[in-house]
Amino acid sequence: MPTWDPGHQAMLEVTDLSVGYRGADVVHRVSFEVRAGETVALIGSNGAGKTTTLRALCGLLMPSSGRVRFAGQDVTGTATHRLSRRGMAYVPAERHLFPGMTVEENLVLGAYPDRADPARQESVFELFPTLRARRAQLAGTMSGGEQQMLAVARALMSAPRLLMLDEPTTGLAPVLAEAAYDALDRLSAEGMTILVSEQQVPLALRVADRGYVLEEGHIRLEGDATSLEHNPDVRRAYLGIG
Amino acid sequence: MLAVFFDGIVGGLQLGVLAVGLSLLYGLGGVLNLAHGALAVSAAIVASLAMDAGWPAVPAAVVGVLVAAAIGLGLDQTIMRPVYRLRGESRVLLSLLLTLGAAFAIDGLLGWRYPFGGLSLRIGGGPVTILGVRMRSGSLLASAIAITAIGALTWLLRRTRTGRAVRSVIQDEVGAQLVGINPGRVRTLIFTLSAALAGLVAITQSMTAPVSVSSGFSLTILALIVTVVGGLGSAPGALLAGLLLGIVNALSSFYIGTYITAIILLAAAALTILVRPAGLLGRAD
Amino acid sequence: MPGAGIGSGMSRVVVGDRSLGHRSVLSAYLPVAAVAVLLGFVPVVIGDSRTYMGLAITALTFGAYACGFNVIFGSTGQLFLCLGALAGVGGYGSALLADRADLPFLVTIPMAAAIAAVVGGVFSWISVRRSLGVIFTGIVTLTFSLGFGNLLLGQRDLTGGETGLLIAASQDTFLRDLVPAYYVFLGMLIGYLLLFRWLQRSHFGWAFRALRDDEMTAELAGIDVARFRVWAGLIGSAMLGLVGAIHAHHNGFINPTTFEFGRVDVRTLVILAFGGIGTLMGPVIGTVSFAVVDELIRDLRQLRIAVEGGILIVLFLGFRGGVGPAVVSLYHRFRARTGRTGS
Repeated sequence: MPTWDPGHQAMLEVTDLSVGYRGADVVHRVSFEVRAGETVALIGSNGAGKTTTLRALCGLLMPSSGRVRFAGQDVTGTATHRLSRRGMAYVPAERHLFPGMTVEENLVLGAYPDRADPARQESVFELFPTLRARRAQLAGTMSGGEQQMLAVARALMSAPRLLMLDEPTTGLAPVLAEAAYDALDRLSAEGMTILVSEQQVPLALRVADRGYVLEEGHIRLEGDATSLEHNPDVRRAYLGIG
Repeated sequence: MLAVFFDGIVGGLQLGVLAVGLSLLYGLGGVLNLAHGALAVSAAIVASLAMDAGWPAVPAAVVGVLVAAAIGLGLDQTIMRPVYRLRGESRVLLSLLLTLGAAFAIDGLLGWRYPFGGLSLRIGGGPVTILGVRMRSGSLLASAIAITAIGALTWLLRRTRTGRAVRSVIQDEVGAQLVGINPGRVRTLIFTLSAALAGLVAITQSMTAPVSVSSGFSLTILALIVTVVGGLGSAPGALLAGLLLGIVNALSSFYIGTYITAIILLAAAALTILVRPAGLLGRAD
Repeated sequence: MPGAGIGSGMSRVVVGDRSLGHRSVLSAYLPVAAVAVLLGFVPVVIGDSRTYMGLAITALTFGAYACGFNVIFGSTGQLFLCLGALAGVGGYGSALLADRADLPFLVTIPMAAAIAAVVGGVFSWISVRRSLGVIFTGIVTLTFSLGFGNLLLGQRDLTGGETGLLIAASQDTFLRDLVPAYYVFLGMLIGYLLLFRWLQRSHFGWAFRALRDDEMTAELAGIDVARFRVWAGLIGSAMLGLVGAIHAHHNGFINPTTFEFGRVDVRTLVILAFGGIGTLMGPVIGTVSFAVVDELIRDLRQLRIAVEGGILIVLFLGFRGGVGPAVVSLYHRFRARTGRTGS
């Protein structure tokens, strides 16, 4: 296995990635990277191709061309469950929790194939105290906000090296959306590498270190969060200003 | 009447064990294995061949069950591969067609090679009286084995990590993949287990009535009926439906007649589909 | 959510038909005429042999069954696993009406076919109303098939039970002689092929193709999927019932095994799958091939079930559209290749 040097190589390197459905590409030759410890936001409006990109990264979709490198290893097209075991955790917009299982059971499964580490479970509960209170509740009976928390918590149980989230604020009231990004902020401060796709640009840029703007399947802009926030095109298109 | 009722429970327990694998397999991948009965019969034939060769009953039965499991594994690795590559209705359709082909291939070969093949185990020991009803030792042993199998399966599904993995794939396959579970491996495990359970039921059935080489299709139909009534994908549903239909079967056969009984059981499945497709304990989505 | 629609997936699994394009009426029906002529000569060759004529008539019968299934499943993807039972409704229906109600068999045959049509139509209608997918339609029709068989066995006063029914109605008629009967069955098969071809080229065919390709889109385009499904069920079941009725009067004797699932449904499925589900000539290619195969494995008759199972597997693993269409496309590819290197 090639060794990976976090100092010189990004943890996640996406090169010329094209992804499509039924022969028609929706994402065209996008390239971006996420370095160890940083938080990167993939921003764009509905239909820009954010979800498609992320699904291709985590193996739920087969890219039509391009390459994905994780920690120095080529993982293009690798099966989802294998990527999960390698340390790539993905939280989809639909969450995909186990509705008939309790919060606790969902978390325990998050650590699969390892046994759930009680210390890790503790730290997850500290991040999301609401989950601790509801640990015996069936996931299917929880509200949207709670499910979102559980989905992130479950992903964290495997002590991932990279946490990818697709539009974590989907269906959440503004207060809960803020809370979600507060949690991500905390994780980022603790050193977690995060890739998050988001429509709600101000929230994402508040927490991210860098960002890429995706439009119609192409990357139009990239830069650090502050400069993106001040970019006039971004402000016009996504912040409703000017 | 109590005697008939008890007979129903004995039969019902075995119906449950027969159907549970089929039900789980549907829950895992949306596929129906029509070769289920053929797998059961192959266990019976192998066991009877072993006994003809002088083996004692227990090892012969074990070998029978193992062979059924092996054939099941073989089917999973061959004809089920292309099935799982498809999605939705195409997957269901292909699974029906390919497993139907396998059922006929296996049944046909067994019927051709052993036209008078079958298994009938005589269990020693006189009848035992329970609650005033005389039960044959064969029935009791069959029930005991079925209950043990149910217990073992419940422990597997509820208390082990593998079992939790199985349940997770049934509840949300994508979610299972996301946490690192390989759904294909889980399906292979359950297919093989399902075949083994089918084989086990053929053995236990032979303790109360002979199982012949031509029983394959009717066993599949029985399993299918129980699975549908219990709820496709629900293991507890299959067990409950098995018990209920076993009792109905016994009472109806005794008081009404074979053909009407068959019609009643078939109608139960049809009505379930028309009125409450989720079955007794299945998830209504 | 992107991905295969229900119908298109089904097409991928099973059907290998090609778009029909614009053809003159003559060229559209020419293959049927050719088949009629070819098969018409068969009795000239083997008319003296009772065995061979019997086999030929059986082949025609199954060809007709396959045509009926082609309309129900090939056109609209409804998995009816009660083909034998529908034929049995026709057979037993006509026999009982003729012998018990003293009606002339020429009347009871279409009557019984109509009853079968209604039964099939009801299944289609229920399946549409309750949105039963492939699996549930298959299971419900299968339970009907098995239930019908048990009904026949159980009601021995009416149906003769296991022993079966000797049919008096057509005892001294032309139907019982081999050569005339052959032509009756041939006429029926040709009629079915003509009907199928007509359906393909008609408004029905267009609707069938649309709803098979992508049911949701078809609905949105205004196609009443329900209506066409029920029509397909009605027509196909009528076809099956008619075969059953004519077979009953020709044979002079029927019992529950004549129409059982293992005997009729599986064979018909294999025949049509082999010849090409949804194609015009599928039933013919399939049933002729099987008549030949049957002769070849004559001494291993008991193996036939295993062989059918094996063929089913091979067919759906390899030749999704059927061997017939696979051969045809091979031919086209060969033509194209030699055309390119051309003279």
